This record gives sequence, C-alpha cells and structure tokens, in this order.
Amino acid sequence: MITKTLTGADFVFLVKQGAAQLQLDKNTVNDLNVFPIPDGDTGDNMFMTIDSGCKAAPQEGNLEDAAAALSQGMLLGARGNSGVILSRIFAGISRGLKGVREADPSALKGALARGVEEAYKAVAVPVEGTMLTVYREAVEAAGKGLTPDSTFGSFGEDFLREMEASLERTPELLDVLKKAGVIDSGGAGLVSIARGIMKALAGETLTLSDTPGTAAKPLNLNAFTEDSALEFGYCTEFLLRLQRAKTNPDTFDEKVILDYLQTVGDSIVCFKDGSIVKVHVHTRRPGDVLSHCQQWGEFLTLKIENMTLQHHETTIHDGFSKPKKRYGVVTVASGDGLVATFREAGADVVIPGGQTMNPAVQSFLEAFDQVAAGTIFVFPNNANILLTARQAASLYQKARVRVIPSKSVGQGYTAIASLDADEEDADALQAQLEETMAGVETGMVSRAVRDAEGGVKEGDYLGFVHGKILTDSPDRSRAALQLCEAIGAGDRDVVLVFRGGDVPAEEADGLEAALATRFPKTEFIFRDGGQPVYDYIMILC
Amino acid sequence: MLTLFTDTDTDITPKVAREYGYKLISMPYSYDGKTIYPYEDFETFDSHAFYDMLRQGVLPTTSALGEERYIAYFEPEFAAGNDIFYVHFSRAMTNTFDSMDRAVAQLKEKYPERKFYELDTKGITIGSYNIVREVGDLFLAGKTPEEVLEWGKTEVDKFAIYFFADDLKFFRRSGRVSGLAATMGSLIGIRPLIYMSTEGKMVSIGKAKGRQNAINALVGYVDELGEDVTAHRVVIAQTDAMDLARQVGALLQEKYGPSLRLEYVDVNPTAGSHCGPNAVGVSFHAKHR
Repeated sequence: MITKTLTGADFVFLVKQGAAQLQLDKNTVNDLNVFPIPDGDTGDNMFMTIDSGCKAAPQEGNLEDAAAALSQGMLLGARGNSGVILSRIFAGISRGLKGVREADPSALKGALARGVEEAYKAVAVPVEGTMLTVYREAVEAAGKGLTPDSTFGSFGEDFLREMEASLERTPELLDVLKKAGVIDSGGAGLVSIARGIMKALAGETLTLSDTPGTAAKPLNLNAFTEDSALEFGYCTEFLLRLQRAKTNPDTFDEKVILDYLQTVGDSIVCFKDGSIVKVHVHTRRPGDVLSHCQQWGEFLTLKIENMTLQHHETTIHDGFSKPKKRYGVVTVASGDGLVATFREAGADVVIPGGQTMNPAVQSFLEAFDQVAAGTIFVFPNNANILLTARQAASLYQKARVRVIPSKSVGQGYTAIASLDADEEDADALQAQLEETMAGVETGMVSRAVRDAEGGVKEGDYLGFVHGKILTDSPDRSRAALQLCEAIGAGDRDVVLVFRGGDVPAEEADGLEAALATRFPKTEFIFRDGGQPVYDYIMILC
Repeated sequence: MLTLFTDTDTDITPKVAREYGYKLISMPYSYDGKTIYPYEDFETFDSHAFYDMLRQGVLPTTSALGEERYIAYFEPEFAAGNDIFYVHFSRAMTNTFDSMDRAVAQLKEKYPERKFYELDTKGITIGSYNIVREVGDLFLAGKTPEEVLEWGKTEVDKFAIYFFADDLKFFRRSGRVSGLAATMGSLIGIRPLIYMSTEGKMVSIGKAKGRQNAINALVGYVDELGEDVTAHRVVIAQTDAMDLARQVGALLQEKYGPSLRLEYVDVNPTAGSHCGPNAVGVSFHAKHR
C-alpha cells in the first residue's frame, strides 16, 4: 500500500496503471478530437507515448532512476502534439526527482510542478484550455491542499478532482472546443491516466496489455490522388542529435529552431533534452525543415506523414465524414494552368470540362464527396453546365450545396478567388459572390471550324463574349487585340489572360507587349492556361 | 568611444554603413539547406538573381540569431572599452532580440562599466533605412547617444513606410502581416497595401486592383501624410521591380520638385523572403505613420 512513501518501483507501477486505464479509454479520447484530425488520434498518441515509457522503465530501483527511464522512454516514443507534451511533463517530473531515492507527497508536488514548467516551455505558443491548463491547474490545486498529514491518496484525490473540473472548463477557454461541442482531448487523456493511478492507490489494478509499439494503421492511398490538393501538409516529427562538429550542444539554444519552425508551420513543439532536440511540426515542406535542422546535427528518428491521408483514413474508419471546414468549392475547367489557377484561388475540386465537354451529374456527386465541408459552393462556369450542377446539388444529401450560376471561367475564377471563408452567413456570402461576378467580363478567342455568315472563313480567329462574335481576323494576336478594344480592356485595371494549349509562348509574349503599349494603364497578367479550344481566355476584372 | 551597429534587415549596404561607421549584424535566410548571412557570405547583393529565384518557386525561410552570435558581435567592442549604439529593425517582428537581450545581460555582468544603447526603428527595410541614415547624420553632427535617443522618442514614429506586394503567398506563409486574411482574397492582380504601425508591425490597410492603382496609392499616402517631406530622404524600395519603383519616384519628383532627396534601394534578401518579388515601398517623413 502506497501511503506516504513512493519508491521507484511504486512510481513505475502507478504510471503503468495510468497507462492501462488510458489503453481502455483511448477510443473515447480519440473521439474528442476536433476536426480536422490533424496528426492521428490523441488517445492513440498519448497511449503510445506513455507505453514507450513503461516499456523502458525498470522493475525496481530508486525513484530518480525510475523517473529518468520513464521520461527517456517517452521522449523516444512521443507521438503527436499531445504525446510530446505528455513526455515533457514526465521529463519535468524526472528533473524534479533528481537525487531523490524515495519521495513523500511534498517532494512529488515539487516534481509535478517542474512538469508544468517543462511542458509550457516545449510549446511555441502555449494555448490555455488544453492539456497544459488541465495539468497545471491540477498541480496547483493539489499543492494547495497539501498538509503534513497528506498521503498520496488524499493528494491524488485533490489532484484528480481539480483535473476533472479543469477539463470541463476547457471549452470556456478555447473557442474551437466550444464550437465542436467537445472537451479537450489531451486533457481527457491526462484525466484517464490520473484515474488509473487513483484506482491503483485504492487497490484496484488493471493489466496493461501488450501492444506493438508503433503498429502502423493500414493506409488508404486512394485518399490522396493525382488531383488531391495538399490541404493539411505533413506531420513531421524527429529527434535531432546535436553534433559537436556543427554546433556546441551544451550552449545550443533550441529557440533558434523554434523561431524557424514558426516561419514554416504550426502545431509546433520543440525542446532540448541534453544534446537531443525533439521537434514536432505541421508543415507543407518537410524537406525544408529537415535540411534546415540538419545544420546543427543528425537525426536519430524521423516520422513524416501526409495529414490528408490520415484524415481520410480516419473518416473511413469512422464511417462518416465530419465537416472539416465551413465552405468547400467545386468548379469546372480544363487545361493544366487553368486548373492550377483555380486551385490556387481556393477551389477544392476542379472537374474537367467546359464548352465541348459537359460533365455529368455523377461527376459532380463524386466531386462533392471529395470535399469535406458543411456548405459546398459550385461554380459551373458555363450556361450549359448550370442545370447539371443544379440537378446534382438537389440530389446530394451529405452537405448543403449551393450553385452559383457562373457563366464563364472569368466569373467563376473571380468569385472563387474573393470568397471570404470567414463570412458565417452563407446567404450573405452567396450574395457577395454573385455581386463580384456581375462586374466580370470574359472574352475568348477561338478558331472557326467552318465558314459562317458575316464573312467568317474557316480557320479565322474569332473573338467573342457570351457567344457573341465581336471580332474576326486571320491573325490570332490581332483577333485578341481587337477583342480587347471591343470589350473596353483599357477601362479595366487588371486583365488576366490565359494562353491556350495551341499558342506558342513567343506569340503570347508578342501579344502581351502589344497590349501593354495599346493599353498602358491596364495591367495584363499572362498565364499559361493550357486549355483546349480557346486560344485565349481573357478575364477583365 | 562609441561603436554604431545596425543590421542587414534595414537594407543598408556595407558602402553606406561605412559612411557612418556602422558595423553590420547579419540577419540570415535559408533555402535548399543553406543558411546565408548577407554581406558575410557575399559582398554585393545580386537583387535580380535572388528575386528571380523566388519567382522560380524557391521560398527561403529566415531565422533568429542565437545568443552566441550577438556575443561575438558585441564582446570585442566592450572588451576594447567601447560603448555600443545599435539601431535595429522592429522588435515586434521577431524573437531574435530575446537572444540579444540575454547576450547583453551576460556581457553587462562581465563589463559593468560599458553602456549598450538601442534604438528600435519599429520598421524593417526602408522604414528602418531612413532612420538608420538620419541617426548616422546626427552622430556625424556630433550628437550624443542620449540626444539621439531623445530624438528617437518623437521622430521614429514619423517615418512612415507604405508598400504593396505582388504575390500574397509569401506573406501568407510567414503570417507576419495582420489583417491580411480578412481583407484579401487570392485574386491575381490585386495587391495588398501594407504599412508599418507604430507598434512596429506590418498591417494590411487595403488593396489596389492593378499596378497603376497600386502605384497611385503609394503616392497618395505621401500626399496625405507627408510632413517636411523634402527636408528628409524619401526612400523607395523594390524587390527587383525597378521599373515600378521609378514610376513612383517620377510621380513624387513631379510633385515635390528638384529639392526632393530621392533614393532607391534593394530590399534585403531576408526581409524580401517575406514579401516576394515585385514589391515596391516608399518611406518618408510624415505627420504620423
């Protein structure tokens, strides 16, 4: 029975009991994750972390050594943000127990407080309403209730009571929790561990089942296809051993890495333990992070995961898709450059199609499935595609779908690029989008495939707007220039020109120079659109 | 003796620094695994080559200096019995000065007699450059550090900097401009207009559609806010966009006449990594920022 003295073996036993409880609770903790699920599941991450510590811990020995072994094991096994923070808590406790062979509640209190310090230090921007708060408040409250008569049982009760209360308060501190209607998952993981420990102190023990340490879940590689956009970046974690040949490991200040990480990503955790630096970051360019950090040392372990895959994998397991953002965008376009420009502007899915290739209802439905959003805006960009889009919208059940009747690529592009994702009122947003579109003119140049009335010869280049032919010339650039005159390009501030797949770059350069001379006040921005049929698409913004 | 320091984030070149006796603290940027210290790893800055590289898709990153580097810059001065006056870029934009504070605190213990003065320009690139030069002028005119600090209390906030950027991706990535997400879409051809606040932060204040409107907007800010404009330098900065910069310069020259002290500078690569190519800015003496 552990009352007033804690040995190394006791400590390891209690932590293992905490781990066993978390093993039982981890799915419940996983379910608390606020979407999108950024780096795996909190329950799994925390369990794998504490489990690595337990596996590294000795069965006997003094408290100092036991705490150090647990901490070192967790450092190596830490996964995810919550796991890393948990490992820092134990690193702080281990530091606080330096030179301590056995502890009374008061000595443990001091060590737990070191855990608070270390955990806060490891996070670039400590956020309240997370496991940091839950742990800190529990340590503070339990410390206040400490008297010379306190036992580990009474101390632990105070600790757990405050921890549970603090966990309930997390949505008040963190808006994202409130909106999702959940409590903080990392905090819930901590509570689970503390409950396991309290049960053990009361004599109720659990068995920690053997788990393969880092068994990878099967990945659904189809969740990230040739057309997927890198939405969440990569969860990047590593241990870096500082090298004497590169820096002085003793005086190296990990803040240099922390500052750098803030310029390349988020969800950052970074701390130094001896000559090892642990890094966790979500970034779009993991290669940059690795190259940059290698200037100070070499990697002991590395883990890089595409978070989009993780997200989809989890939604498949759940059997239903949680909305990950307020608005999604589906549109229709052809040509690599044009598609890339739509992506850049914020489109989630670009369905291949256009004037000569109208996508089917099924294509829209499949596109909607790829977008995890509460409301999906659809921009058909062509009058002939509008009805199909509306039909698909009326059939779709899994999200609210709103069709914005964009009749040209220009209208669709301009509206998508100016979509304000922070606008909460979808009606107001739709009105804004339609208003933005209204002022946009799209001119196109295409080659006549046969003779037609008005003297049009097969092979001529025609300039037209909304299907109405305005210019006709055997010369492509001339047709484009005349079209710009006809639709008043000189009165516009910006004209965006997409060069079609059939137009040589040098020819477009010539046109760009001619337009700049003819309309000096207007800025012409040329892009390699690569679209079929239309040699030039000109968007007058 | 007093040793003047400034840093490369202020756009100063070694040549101009020598006019005033400024020593340079080099603020690094990194790409492809290389970390480059301006004017330590190269002698002259090839602005065109650097910004062209960014146009090709390279996205450099920047990082703070560690304590040791500050000690390496400052300790020899203190050891030689010199005091230090450091005119630096905005504290509000970086964590690097936390390292500096720790370094200075350490050195103060070792050299208790020595003095460390600092003037925060609450700007970066030309916003700082204009002040760095004015401070240099004051010291050349025989002012004491205390007098210069006193001057700074009112004058730092009077050097305004307004600029436009061409490609939002650089700012989006660095997250160093507040208000950008709310006011800006991602429409090609729309440029954010940004200024440096009196807190020393970059704040988005609007947008201009098309190049001409962006240029006119910069000139408009000088018109609206300028105070004793010709009594001070007007500095135009550009990131490999000299044509646009000269258009701004020509409009200002037209308005203020030949007495205008116009100067063009290249935005240093470290700051330029955050704003990208084709950005143009103007720094001038103003009623307020």
